[in-house]
Amino acid sequence: MIRCTIEQGVGHLVLNRPEKRNALTPEMLAEFVRGLSRLSGECGAVVVRGEGEAFCAGFDLSLCREDSAALAELLCGLSDAVRAMRGVAAPVVVAAHGAAIAGGCALLGGGDVVVTDAGAKLGYPVVRLGISPSVSAPTLRLRTGDGAARERLLDPGLIDGRRAVEVGLADECVASPAGVRERAEGIARMLASKPRCGVAATKRWLNELDGLEGGEMLNQALGVSLSLVGSAEERERLAAMWSRDTKGKEA
Amino acid sequence: MATEELTLLEVSGPVARLTLNRPGARNALSIPLLEALHARVDEIAQREEVKVVVLTGAGKAFCAGMDLKAVLSDPALPIRLLTLLADLTVKIRGLPAVVVGRVNGAAIGGGCGLACVCDLAVTHADSKMGFPEVDLGVCPAVVAPWLVRKIGAGRARRVLLEGGVMTGQRAFELGIVTHVVGSAEELDAAVDEVVRRLASGGAGALRATKRLLNDLDGSLDVAVVRKGAELSAAVLATAEAQATLRAKLGM
Repeated sequence: MIRCTIEQGVGHLVLNRPEKRNALTPEMLAEFVRGLSRLSGECGAVVVRGEGEAFCAGFDLSLCREDSAALAELLCGLSDAVRAMRGVAAPVVVAAHGAAIAGGCALLGGGDVVVTDAGAKLGYPVVRLGISPSVSAPTLRLRTGDGAARERLLDPGLIDGRRAVEVGLADECVASPAGVRERAEGIARMLASKPRCGVAATKRWLNELDGLEGGEMLNQALGVSLSLVGSAEERERLAAMWSRDTKGKEA
Repeated sequence: MATEELTLLEVSGPVARLTLNRPGARNALSIPLLEALHARVDEIAQREEVKVVVLTGAGKAFCAGMDLKAVLSDPALPIRLLTLLADLTVKIRGLPAVVVGRVNGAAIGGGCGLACVCDLAVTHADSKMGFPEVDLGVCPAVVAPWLVRKIGAGRARRVLLEGGVMTGQRAFELGIVTHVVGSAEELDAAVDEVVRRLASGGAGALRATKRLLNDLDGSLDVAVVRKGAELSAAVLATAEAQATLRAKLGM
């Protein structure tokens, strides 16, 4: 479900579960981290993208239907994936086309450069499921500042790609979803063409400056999301979602 | 060249104008120029009547950044130069008066860093600004904390990792400067207007507000820029950076 290749000095890490809009499973996230570690040191830049219509629809919540253990695994896996993106020496370009929802949107927080498209839908619509998107708060705040981060994490609405650039969640917005990959790969090739010593040192220094190194803040944020896993509110709201989905299909 | 010639200082009522005066070298930062700037900024700090300082460059450029050819010819030079620059940035930010950058032309590397240190900055749409350090295999570690404070960690990440230079218009869109005018001819009128508005404020109110803003964003943290100087010098000393620089500078 994760494809990992290197072409002309650029690493490609592809979420490859298009039939489920690249919905994340714990195994995918573990593969994602392993893939990044394989690419580390082997390439001058990494592109993270999704196969199919959308970059990533978030967690595969069907895994959490019976019990919440998988949700905890997903949250830990997501946190590890974002840390791995920050930790890899090469800059990471995220090609967020179509949709980057919840856990999918969280992956943007690990990117050094984020490209999206004007019609893309981005956000964290999870509080209405009784799930806290806190795990994303530290990296989102770095991108958008506190004001926009509060809005995105508390308001379950989605924003489009243009707005995402305005608030800093993405760096660049192209007209169509099809153009995102090309643009992201172009940026990655440009980054990979630069002397690696300066780029790697600069990324390390930016990581140090932004206060998330050491991991305490990321651990605290993950802890808040984990603390709600299995709550009565989450169980009820997820069950209600499944029941709505089933009714919808029957109708 | 003496301090008096490397820099020009004119004080007129509540407004001081400090000019980098090495136009033949595009106001590149040499040790004597940095020492002269330190002396001038100390002098301005003593002038209680000064409410606004305009920082600018003589000739066509604002400041072309570090004198890289000089740096390559003397291995002991980088750490001295970078430390002087690091300390100067904090000293300028610590001035009680409001500092306005009049970015009259190219502001590159450390020169763009100086523009970021200013509380406000005005440029014209076609000026060249940016941080091409990574293109040369080096690391813009002294100026990184200033850019992060100015435009946020997310946008700073892209700007510093991508390197290159941008137009004044783009610098305005990113928030690196606060005002942009269409052409160089319009610059002085715009600077005068900003200075007039600032100088109309109460000296006590301006100082208290600037002091608070400095406290809030950690501007006066000398340790972080000194660490940046050490890191930057260490990267410069690597064989890869030396080889890249020599190739790029044709030495």
